[in-house]
Amino acid sequence: MIDSNDIKLLDDCLAYAREKGASALRLTLTENDQQLVGVLDGEIDKISMSMDRSLGISMFADGRFGTFSTNLITRAGVFSMIDKALEMTRMMTPDPQRRLPDKSRKVTTALSGTEMGLLDFSIDTLTADSRREMALSSALWGRKNDFEKGFSVISEEGEYSDSISDTVTVDSEGLFCRHRETSFEIGYETTVEDSSGNRFSAYWWDASPSLDGIVPALKDCSAEAILRAADQIGPRSIPSGKYNVVFENECASRLLNPILTALGGYSIQQGNSFLAGKAGEKVFGSNFSVIDRPAEVGKYGSKLYDSEGVATRTMPIVEEGVVRNYFLNTYIAGKMGVSPTIEDVTRPSVAPFGGCPDLDAILSAVGRGILVTGFNGGNNNSTSGDFSYGIEGFLFEGGKRIHPVREIVLTGNFTDLWNSLIFAGEDPRRAMTRQIPTVAFKDLYISA
Amino acid sequence: MIHSREHYLNLFAVSEELPRKIIAEALRSGGSWADLYFENTTYTSLMLRDGEVTSGGSHLDFGVGIRVLSGEKTGYAYTESTLEKDLKEAARTAGAIAVSAVSSDIPTPCAFRGEPNPAADRYPVQKHWRTTPATELKEVLEKLEKAIRRREQRVVKVIGSLACQVTDVLMYNSLGELKYDTRPMGSLSATVIFSDGGKVENKTASRSFRTGAEMLSDSLVEELAEEAVRNLDARFAAIRPKGGKMSVVMGAGASGILLHEAIGHAFEADFIRKGQSIFTGRMGELICDSAINVIDDATIKGNRGSLNYDDEGVPGQRTMMVTEGRLTSFLHDRISAAHFGVRPTGNGRRESFRYPPIPRMRATYMESGPARAEDIIAEVSAGVYVDEFSNGQVKIGEGDFTFYVKSGYLIENGRLTAPIKDINIIGNGPQALAGIRAVGNDARIDNGTWICGKEQSVPVSCGIPTVLVDSLTVGGE
Repeated sequence: MIDSNDIKLLDDCLAYAREKGASALRLTLTENDQQLVGVLDGEIDKISMSMDRSLGISMFADGRFGTFSTNLITRAGVFSMIDKALEMTRMMTPDPQRRLPDKSRKVTTALSGTEMGLLDFSIDTLTADSRREMALSSALWGRKNDFEKGFSVISEEGEYSDSISDTVTVDSEGLFCRHRETSFEIGYETTVEDSSGNRFSAYWWDASPSLDGIVPALKDCSAEAILRAADQIGPRSIPSGKYNVVFENECASRLLNPILTALGGYSIQQGNSFLAGKAGEKVFGSNFSVIDRPAEVGKYGSKLYDSEGVATRTMPIVEEGVVRNYFLNTYIAGKMGVSPTIEDVTRPSVAPFGGCPDLDAILSAVGRGILVTGFNGGNNNSTSGDFSYGIEGFLFEGGKRIHPVREIVLTGNFTDLWNSLIFAGEDPRRAMTRQIPTVAFKDLYISA
Repeated sequence: MIHSREHYLNLFAVSEELPRKIIAEALRSGGSWADLYFENTTYTSLMLRDGEVTSGGSHLDFGVGIRVLSGEKTGYAYTESTLEKDLKEAARTAGAIAVSAVSSDIPTPCAFRGEPNPAADRYPVQKHWRTTPATELKEVLEKLEKAIRRREQRVVKVIGSLACQVTDVLMYNSLGELKYDTRPMGSLSATVIFSDGGKVENKTASRSFRTGAEMLSDSLVEELAEEAVRNLDARFAAIRPKGGKMSVVMGAGASGILLHEAIGHAFEADFIRKGQSIFTGRMGELICDSAINVIDDATIKGNRGSLNYDDEGVPGQRTMMVTEGRLTSFLHDRISAAHFGVRPTGNGRRESFRYPPIPRMRATYMESGPARAEDIIAEVSAGVYVDEFSNGQVKIGEGDFTFYVKSGYLIENGRLTAPIKDINIIGNGPQALAGIRAVGNDARIDNGTWICGKEQSVPVSCGIPTVLVDSLTVGGE
């Protein structure tokens, strides 16, 4: 963990850079320790330990700007990097908008790094043996072949990992902020083979900022992966056409991420976004609202400040279909001549809609359509919002899964998509930073 | 670029004796193999926006990865210091795998004796990135923007990026082999935003090579600018095709993404060793037309995927994956090679010292066949022609792959007609390979900034001649 000697080094770096001619400076020191145990077919296959330290430098000099980093965090190594950083920064073209954030916007409440309740000191109680035990406690190799259902498990590969990270950011105008968190994760990928030799694979995972939070998930992780792989046996084709489509909470964030990217300051300022010029406009349906909730204590992804040290706040992103905010850091806002907001979204949450809390309720309410449980490739056009994704999942009728479908492509436009939202549940996965529940859309076009 | 042995020992501040001591410490608990991977990477990048290069930076990454194998089981740790005490602690951590793992009778990986030979260098450097001033790099981006704007009035914005990376590595293993190398990489790219009659479109073009700064010639800048604005009218006019299963003609060059996704990953021998790949157990089988040869190659001079040595110290080489339609080699690291009793193919790669090596592709391409591209297109009564892509992926177990098409054309009655864009294409690897009906005589490697993201990111390249694939699922409306 970062200690008082490290903090002293940061102070010395600020003083050294100013002495050498920097007009302003921001430093971010990060430490991250991770332990990982891998399991293959019921045996320990891999152990690894990592300890990373990195110092990031945002350098402002003579009206110019540059970003630098080094993992040689000795006094001599860092001072040498500052010298190089100053030299290179002075070769850039001057830009009057490059400056530190206004003092009134900077966070003042992130002093210990534990304010978000994401640090679990019980990580220190773990040993090599207990980590191996947790990794193996999910494994079902040799015990889960189900010949009655017509499959055997031909590969089971899993990983348990835990990590602790500590970040301190300071700047030459008095900023000091710190964020510390732990993470405990389990993930298993399994491949099953049916009686005809066809293979189907699936992945399942869970994560928690606390050790107590992950323990209940350990024993079911591989079982869930096997179940999800076996459920795919016997896919059938469906005709191309329009379907109501439900996206499971596990994969639905894929549909929101391009919206958040399109609201990013660089995309907006460069005109490389289908949402450029749309602030304040009703672009999506009234059913669709997204709010950034960055400071939920004990919840994954919560953080009191962004990479500039600016305090995060609860902020509407899309409100009943109206685009409310872009993500604008100090520089981009200055370039655009508008007020800055925040560097990036922190913990976005899609508001529930339609009165169905979870997947089963939504499937029943929708009746017939395609349930999407995963994506297979695809992308989108950032200037038009057009997208095309490979998807896999199930045909459902009467709210029940009928048979798996695969090798199908969903094609459309994000504006149209979110205008056709008919349900948003209340069931986002706790382990995800982006809180996207099960969502359902009306009449999407599928090529099969 | 290969310097002297002393250069690398000095750079990492290690004596001849120290690596031997660390290996001994790593194997103290009983491992069967240990190796050390010293890395020193410098990365510099500049960005042009709004006509000016107002941001840039450089980054330094330094450390040592220590791997211990106990049979096929891996213990891994790294340190960001080359002090003996830190190296020994990391060695003991990695060596703990020998305590955890169930032992197995895996033969010792084979040896590759001899010092690196500068004469065989696949990426000699004339102009060193580390001593090229940022002002020179800045000028290249400014020229690129001018060259793009000179060609096209509809340009709204140009986002130019120039990145250069130089990585020094020193590798030592429990067979006593010492290998060293310095790997340059330069990448120049432009994303251009266009506007026409209220419609907005973007295009991206890039070039990347394992060379020095001599790659930044005026001709490269002009070539990139030309590509960035090419077929712009078609991009604005493009539609989405009616979706469904259809014939797909894949244009020469970037369509090599088909090989990367459809078969390349499934040939990586960690997936074969674990029984996960759909090609498991198919060595020697005829898997496609006998006119087809597919190669994964580390030996192309200056290519983004080329390597003098892989990240396990195995010499870079040219590997015939498919020979006259028959599966002739998987892509091996030392673990899988020992498992199957074959020589490693030099595919053990890693993103950095923070990761253990795993089998990865390098430059993956198909050799030319006999057909002319226009004759291949003429064969198709209804389908699509595709030639520009952004990304792809594959499900190893099922073999289902996809790639995203940025641009192409409809094929109607043997002719290219309406331009198309923004569609995803899905297929199954073995079926798609078996479904290649014609191979063009125009094989070409694409030199864009391809990155493969299997667990870790590594630079690769791909290539292919024009090919006709029988039946793929094309997204559409």
